[in-house]
Amino acid sequence: MADGRTWRLIYNPEGDTTDVVAYGAAVAEGRIAGKYQLSSTSVPDTLIVQRSTVRGIIAGADVRIDRDLATREGIQLAKAARQGRNSARAVGTIQLSEVMAKGSRAYDAKRVKPEDPAVILYTSGTTGNPKGVTLTHENFLFQRNTIVPSIMEFTEFDRTVGVLPLYHVYGLSNGLIPTVNAGAGFVMVAQYSPQSLLSAIADTKATIMPAIPSMYQHLLTIARARKTTMPKSLRMCVSGGAPLPLSVLREFMEVFDTQIVEGYGLTETASCVSANGRGGVFKEGSIGPVATGVEMTIFDDNDSELPVGEVGEIVIRSRTVTPGYWNDPAATSDAINPDGWFHTGDLGYRDEDGFFFITDRKKDLIIRGGFNISPREVEEVIMLHPAIQDAAVVAAPDKHDQEMVVAYVVLKEGESLTGREVMDHCVANMAPYKRPKNVVFVDTLPKSATGKVLRTELRGEATDRRLVERSE
Amino acid sequence: MFGRKKANEAAGSGGAVAVGLGEMLQEITKRYKRKQAIHFENVTYTYQELDENANRVAGGLEALGVRQGDRVAMMLPNIPEFAFTFFGIQKLGGVAVPFNTMYKGREISFILKDSGAKAIVCLSNFANLINEIRDECPALEHVIVTGQRTLVFVDPDATVNVQLVVEKTNFESADSVFHTVGGVLVDAFQAAGVKDAWYKHMGAIRAHGKKLATILVSEIENLYVVNVVGFLKTMDADPLFRVLWVPPEIKDKAVEPSTSVEEESGTTITLEAFKDLLVEQFTKKLGVTFDVGELTRDEQLAYQKNRALAGRI
Repeated sequence: MADGRTWRLIYNPEGDTTDVVAYGAAVAEGRIAGKYQLSSTSVPDTLIVQRSTVRGIIAGADVRIDRDLATREGIQLAKAARQGRNSARAVGTIQLSEVMAKGSRAYDAKRVKPEDPAVILYTSGTTGNPKGVTLTHENFLFQRNTIVPSIMEFTEFDRTVGVLPLYHVYGLSNGLIPTVNAGAGFVMVAQYSPQSLLSAIADTKATIMPAIPSMYQHLLTIARARKTTMPKSLRMCVSGGAPLPLSVLREFMEVFDTQIVEGYGLTETASCVSANGRGGVFKEGSIGPVATGVEMTIFDDNDSELPVGEVGEIVIRSRTVTPGYWNDPAATSDAINPDGWFHTGDLGYRDEDGFFFITDRKKDLIIRGGFNISPREVEEVIMLHPAIQDAAVVAAPDKHDQEMVVAYVVLKEGESLTGREVMDHCVANMAPYKRPKNVVFVDTLPKSATGKVLRTELRGEATDRRLVERSE
Repeated sequence: MFGRKKANEAAGSGGAVAVGLGEMLQEITKRYKRKQAIHFENVTYTYQELDENANRVAGGLEALGVRQGDRVAMMLPNIPEFAFTFFGIQKLGGVAVPFNTMYKGREISFILKDSGAKAIVCLSNFANLINEIRDECPALEHVIVTGQRTLVFVDPDATVNVQLVVEKTNFESADSVFHTVGGVLVDAFQAAGVKDAWYKHMGAIRAHGKKLATILVSEIENLYVVNVVGFLKTMDADPLFRVLWVPPEIKDKAVEPSTSVEEESGTTITLEAFKDLLVEQFTKKLGVTFDVGELTRDEQLAYQKNRALAGRI
């Protein structure tokens, strides 16, 4: 033990970012060398306390940083020491390369049963803990061999841009898996930025892109600013996760000379179950007709089917639907009825051509004075204002403990508005009970990895699960 | 296992030979061996290489005791190792549990506990997040790390960097390094006015759930190397995010919620005073005395080399 020893203290209050890396490394190297020279006592155990006098980032070799921008911003960059087999490694861990060295190049895949779980994906609910959606081999088999081919064709000649996170069902089920299933190429983008995505498309002449609306918007922003020719290699794009504004869809198809289908799906359905725009048939605001092998209809609160045009809950039955939630039979029986219909929690209707339309999430409905208020309808009206970029409305209790509408509004760059002006816009365009009673201006709306507005955060219901509290 | 009726009415059929995702890759590889499967930056992997890497992962996990039906968590961005690991788990007949790489704290511990994951494959810079909650996840036997994605912000006013390079014989185990350094830091932060400072298992000093300091213990040969980043003042991370593009709507999720001595105590502390507190606490806890010193001549050479290497980014 250390008792009674003398340690060295190195105090470096005027260092810089590279010092933070270099001092520790130098001392460690000295000590390791000392071990072999049997003179380790000549370099004592050392405590280094330091500060960088410049703002900086210490980054591993795989982190991409804009160096020129860093210089302009006065940020010093330093490369972190390597972690690995022959260098320092975090205690209690093992390197993947070491694990792989224990295996061999040949391994015959274990036979699995269709009903065996292949993947568990956790989705956040509005309250409580996330739920683990169990997806079986059959779910993925049916998704890749029956559903995906009915929406878009993956061939061995394709290259798919893998910009969607692969921990999400959309990136996995409609990106990596159908690509491999077709023997096509998969272009991985580890760290999304509009520029990295554009480069990936251009450098690899990618042909297929599953993405979310904000990515289409960002790419168009670059295209408009540069006024140079955009790559024309994409033959098919899918948008999902959140609604894609029609204007963006049209402009993107023109600028990139491509087709976009708008898909709809959930983690519980192993991703896509319907798509709008297949075969060039597109209905504005629709999630399209169902894919092959999927039954989708509208139920009332008693699980009775509703006729065309009536709003109820969208329910789905298919071999792509999860058998249930991991370790949570109660949530499973709440979501999937004995006939195998999965309740999506989305409200919507279908038209006479079999196209489905989503109106809202069931739990997001605002109820005031006995009237149902559709947040999406109110948001669409608010967003008609030319100075408004984005909007989301949620319920909040008023002084009589009734639900009232609160609007969160993001203004377009360079625009200014008052709450009164937003209210006036609403007065002119919607029924009195639907109008927001309060307008909050924000820089951005909180969104999920696939671009969905996180209303729980706006409602203030979300507990910050990133925090680690003391358990004692 | 869930006992619900099959959706017989749904039309369509899979009709493929390969039922499992692992078999799917194996079958495709037979057909497209030399075709490019993965493109990542300037590197490409053919189907044969993808399959062989997945095989190595499957065999390696098996050697660690992972069996068919076991859950293996994944906290990886879109890098080739994601594909190797995902298909490796599938070939082994395991259950992959990939989750959001931006998750922190309880988000991670809930998933690891609920899924009963036996192993996790994550970026090396997430090891600290996992170690911190590891004691809450009894089923978790292996933390497997990959990649070089360390990301540390330094700020002249806000951060202090503390390193300890010590002979392993000073401590009974790596766990005791964490405990000792954690205890020293808690006492130093409390003496600096952060009454709520507490040490969380293997990795962090927290106050009100937020991070006040990160502790990373590495080992190399005969040494433990401890790296600590502590927050003395509130850090303005906005300029740093300007060079490290993160979509604005998820910016607040990209970093862990942190706090500082200034935020918690309402008072400020100088670097010098904080250093003195650390020295005092190390002396108290370990019975060591300190001599103020500089790098030796040999160390100076190593320092110059490492400075040059660190600057070559």
